[in-house]
Amino acid sequence: MVALATLVVVLVIALTPYLWLLMTSFKTRLDALADAPVWLFTPTLEHYPMVFLDKGYLPMVGNSLIVAGVSTALSLAIGVPAAYVFARHDFAGKEDLFFFFLTTRMAPPISVVVPMFLFFGYVGLIDTRTSVILAHSTFNLSLVVWMMRGFFADIPREIDEAAQMDGHTRAGMFLRVLLPLAAPGMAATAVLCFILSWNEFLYALILVAFESRTLTVGIPGLVTPHGTLWGQVAAVAVVATLPIIVFTFLVQRHLVRGLTFGAVKG
Amino acid sequence: MNLSRWGSGILDRGVGPLFLVPALLLLVVLLVGPFLYMVGVSFTDLSFALPGHDGNFVGFENYRRLMREDPVFWQSFGTTLVFVSGVVSVEFGLGFALALLLFHHVQRRRFVLTLLLIPMMLAPVAVGLMWKLMLHGEFGMLTHYLRELGLLGPQTALLGNHDLVLPTVMLVDVWEWTPFVTLVFLAGLLSLPREPFEAAVMDGARPWQVFRDITVPLLRPIIALVLLLRGIDAFKEFDKVFILTGGGPGTATELISIYAWRVNFRNWDLGYGAVCAFMVYLVVLILCAVSYKAIYWTEGRAVK
Repeated sequence: MVALATLVVVLVIALTPYLWLLMTSFKTRLDALADAPVWLFTPTLEHYPMVFLDKGYLPMVGNSLIVAGVSTALSLAIGVPAAYVFARHDFAGKEDLFFFFLTTRMAPPISVVVPMFLFFGYVGLIDTRTSVILAHSTFNLSLVVWMMRGFFADIPREIDEAAQMDGHTRAGMFLRVLLPLAAPGMAATAVLCFILSWNEFLYALILVAFESRTLTVGIPGLVTPHGTLWGQVAAVAVVATLPIIVFTFLVQRHLVRGLTFGAVKG
Repeated sequence: MNLSRWGSGILDRGVGPLFLVPALLLLVVLLVGPFLYMVGVSFTDLSFALPGHDGNFVGFENYRRLMREDPVFWQSFGTTLVFVSGVVSVEFGLGFALALLLFHHVQRRRFVLTLLLIPMMLAPVAVGLMWKLMLHGEFGMLTHYLRELGLLGPQTALLGNHDLVLPTVMLVDVWEWTPFVTLVFLAGLLSLPREPFEAAVMDGARPWQVFRDITVPLLRPIIALVLLLRGIDAFKEFDKVFILTGGGPGTATELISIYAWRVNFRNWDLGYGAVCAFMVYLVVLILCAVSYKAIYWTEGRAVK
């Protein structure tokens, strides 16, 4: 009984702030700014069209989708083959190289974005979606390499041997035999990459300023010292978070592995 | 031996390098190259704000300035250490306790766990905004109830008070990341073998003894993993605190990442900013190397 009560309290604490945000996005300005918190109110739908159509936040949703989608695709395209090599081949310095991939994911964003800002400025890619896509690919690539190494390692080696008996070359075996077997893991990895890129803030904040802004960079622009329109802020925040909650339900089984870099299988 | 077979043989042996090169190339071009460039910049006076500071070589001047003349950097370093040690220990305690609760008392764990995970999957920017709304000094929902309960003065705002602001942003971090600790510990608890527990119960061990002498020692690798991952992540904290307070009031919540951001992208002092960014990287690299040794090598496994 005590356990159940504790759990209920914990869930209330965990979920109330988000519910409050959700409610605020449907409140009139008067209800949102009331002295005493308003729990029951007549919902309004005015904030969503206002902020996305009139204030031009819709293109930012597109930018976020493009950045997250392309960086996920790019990371998978070059990360999955690399992960396969780590899982199945042996060569000198393999674990050191793997450690190098680890450090790139661990690197603090501020220390990465300063040199990237200088670099993208030098090659003229500042304020383009390309710069953010490339920046996000660096951390997503490492995630792909760890997660997929684990998924490839889960496939029994006998399958490789059987495939070689059937006359597959190594490349053919990778493409036609192992890749389909690792597909569920790859889907989970893709979703995680998408979430990381979609949620990312600092790289995008530094690298883009105007047309290429992603949603996370756009939201703070609505917060001003005087007269913040919290209904609109909440509306954008809801659109930025709701898809992620759905995705979380989809990949929950693989979250532990993804978030602990393969150290815990879950 | 026919020709196509010979060709595929070459391809076969080439699979290893061929598959690795694109990944390495991306990291070298986007991370290693720019990083070396930044190290170069750290020896110059490059600044977009001051005239005439267009990258003249100044030797170790920026490093000397960091060590000797910049109390604000070291203050932000101290703030970051307080932040990291505070949030990691609270998240560890709460998260572990919650994992034990779920493990022992809850049957439909998966559903509960999924709801519990929502805070850490939201964009940190959104987390910052949510709490800014809850903690607003005039109409914040939480501010209102805290004042009703007499826990907060009528003029005090948690995010505007010099003494309360750091504990407040730390609590928001605890709210966001405790679920992560719970998630990992629950996975760890579920993976433990049953035999030692059954044997202990047969021998009449009390629950506390079982926990101290069996559960904790078996979970030691997980404990190390959680502490180090959370430690590194907390050290890198930027988004949420940036949105909540921007480092203020004053410099009360100016974590090291926020300070480095300010030097680079507000003061445009890029030569000195490079040194700051480099220092942040160095600390994390050390933590990371320690964690890799602790977790992977002592375990005698690379990836399980």
